[in-house]
Amino acid sequence: MSAEALRPQHARPVPVPGERVTQTVDEVGAVRAAAAVARTSDRGARIVAVTIALVWHLTIALPAVLAAGSALVVPEVVLGGWLLVAVLGVVAGIRLLRDVPLPAAPLVGALLVVDVAVFATVGRSHLFSPANWVWGTLAWFFLVVLWGRPVHRLLALLAAHAAIALTAVVLHGATGAADLARATMAFYGTSSLPVAVFAGAAALAALSRERAATAAATNAMVAEREAAEQARHERGERLDLVSRAASEVLTELAQGRADPADPEVQRRCVRAAARLRRLIAESDDVPHPLLHELRAAADLAERNGLPIDLVTIGSPPPLPVRVRRSLADPLTASLAEAQDWARLTVVSSPDEVVVSLVTPDRAGPDSTGPPAEDGDGQVEYLYERDGEVRWTQTRWHR
Amino acid sequence: MDADALAPVTPRRPVGVAIVDDHPVVIDGVRAWLATEPQLTVLATGDDPDEVLRAAPDADVILLDLRLHGRVVLDKLAELSAAGRRVVVYSEHSEPTTMLAALDAGAVAFLAKHEGREHCVATVLDAASDRPYVPPALAGAMVGDPRPDRPALSDKEREALLLWFQSMSKASVARRMRISEHTVKQYVDRARIKYTRAGRPAATKAALLARAIEDGLVRPEEIGIYRSRASTDQPTP
Repeated sequence: MSAEALRPQHARPVPVPGERVTQTVDEVGAVRAAAAVARTSDRGARIVAVTIALVWHLTIALPAVLAAGSALVVPEVVLGGWLLVAVLGVVAGIRLLRDVPLPAAPLVGALLVVDVAVFATVGRSHLFSPANWVWGTLAWFFLVVLWGRPVHRLLALLAAHAAIALTAVVLHGATGAADLARATMAFYGTSSLPVAVFAGAAALAALSRERAATAAATNAMVAEREAAEQARHERGERLDLVSRAASEVLTELAQGRADPADPEVQRRCVRAAARLRRLIAESDDVPHPLLHELRAAADLAERNGLPIDLVTIGSPPPLPVRVRRSLADPLTASLAEAQDWARLTVVSSPDEVVVSLVTPDRAGPDSTGPPAEDGDGQVEYLYERDGEVRWTQTRWHR
Repeated sequence: MDADALAPVTPRRPVGVAIVDDHPVVIDGVRAWLATEPQLTVLATGDDPDEVLRAAPDADVILLDLRLHGRVVLDKLAELSAAGRRVVVYSEHSEPTTMLAALDAGAVAFLAKHEGREHCVATVLDAASDRPYVPPALAGAMVGDPRPDRPALSDKEREALLLWFQSMSKASVARRMRISEHTVKQYVDRARIKYTRAGRPAATKAALLARAIEDGLVRPEEIGIYRSRASTDQPTP
């Protein structure tokens, strides 16, 4: 019997399962997808908030201020405030829609200063008229500035706005029951809708993020389960194979048909033992793609009659495909040319993966030269022959 | 008997070995490996550590299969080590966690069964003189130790362990690192000695450490040994 007997009847295509598994390893990707879904669903609400703020500011506040004109105490301040808020609103709105919001604190400060200035300079007669534009518009700009932040911050800002308004009302001497009722109505009427939009959008974003995350996690779990199932199936097949090979040689030995002194019989025993040992060492449910590739290469070399040990320590972190290729390819190339025996080891930690192949040295040309520089130069390649062994090592550092 | 068991074995004195394994065929195999070294004498064998030690109370080294009758006997290992028995664990379980657990429990050395032929005699001889012996599989477990409280190894020690694990040839490691084989062994052994500070204290660990200091392999301050301030002439800070 020769290596032919160890060849499986149905050689499986080697690299396919490893590629599938990559999807399951990338959990970070799933989280990112969930965030993207939430962002998309939030975008509509942002457009609504920015549009309402600017349209109201332009079509209702501006005509009222212009109409009131010189009836205001200091029209320049009221109009200047309007202009400043318009500019801030456009800039903040564009940044918000581009997903790069401005820092909230200075914007909030500027809005509150304008709030105070306008109340102080609008005059008693226009205190409750549309020319006092901060009543109607400012709450919407609060919304634009604080988008995506906790609702309680918006409520705090509105409370400050209400305090400023109340102080102004009192200082203007509008303390009659009717005036206070108007102030309350004005505040309530202009604040309730922005709060509802803000809270509603926050709730919707949270909900869609949660749903997307759940869906991504479910997909990842299904993929993981499929990969584990596939790995289990493959191992079952390999166990059948190695059991057959081992029991054949043991039976022949027991029946005296095989001679323990025969080097070929010894090699068969060594091969069967090495393969069993490798199988037992596979403790992972879903093999890391790197280990999967190396195991497949080891199996292939062994089918060509090479006794090979594969020892892995630790589990590799998720690796980009290019890094994985730079780690594995030089080894699998050397492995194809190995003779007599081979020892393949993988030592992994979260920040480092070192793969090494040691085979006996023999006369002849060097095996494959250094691989083309790839893996972004993160993978160090080393090849040495010292007359005793040929040593190929690849090493990745984070 | 504790002091006796820990007494350094002179090179001339024969080393008494006890073998504890529940598979007679393995005992015969280990016996055959040890028979190649005239200095080693197998005093007793069996599948129960207590019985074997009753038969051979003077055994210098105990070769212990970590799994006896389906049970992992780490507790027995710890008990023997605490009592100063030099135990070399050998096991078909060569997962890094198992090996490190055996070291923590006080084993002088850990030998994976498939490494037995090349390393058994050297391991037992070194164990008998309280010197560390690190076969490649154990070197791999140490270099890949993920535990946050693992001993701090120097870069050279890590590299020597890694290359020794990869190549199983100290000569090749020496060529790779451009140092002598002796220095390679020193790096590997120093790393092993640092592991005497991991896990619970055991008489065997103290003995390894004492011998390493005596041999000049490590200096006490390198591994953070507690020294009573009262007994030294160092100024009190």
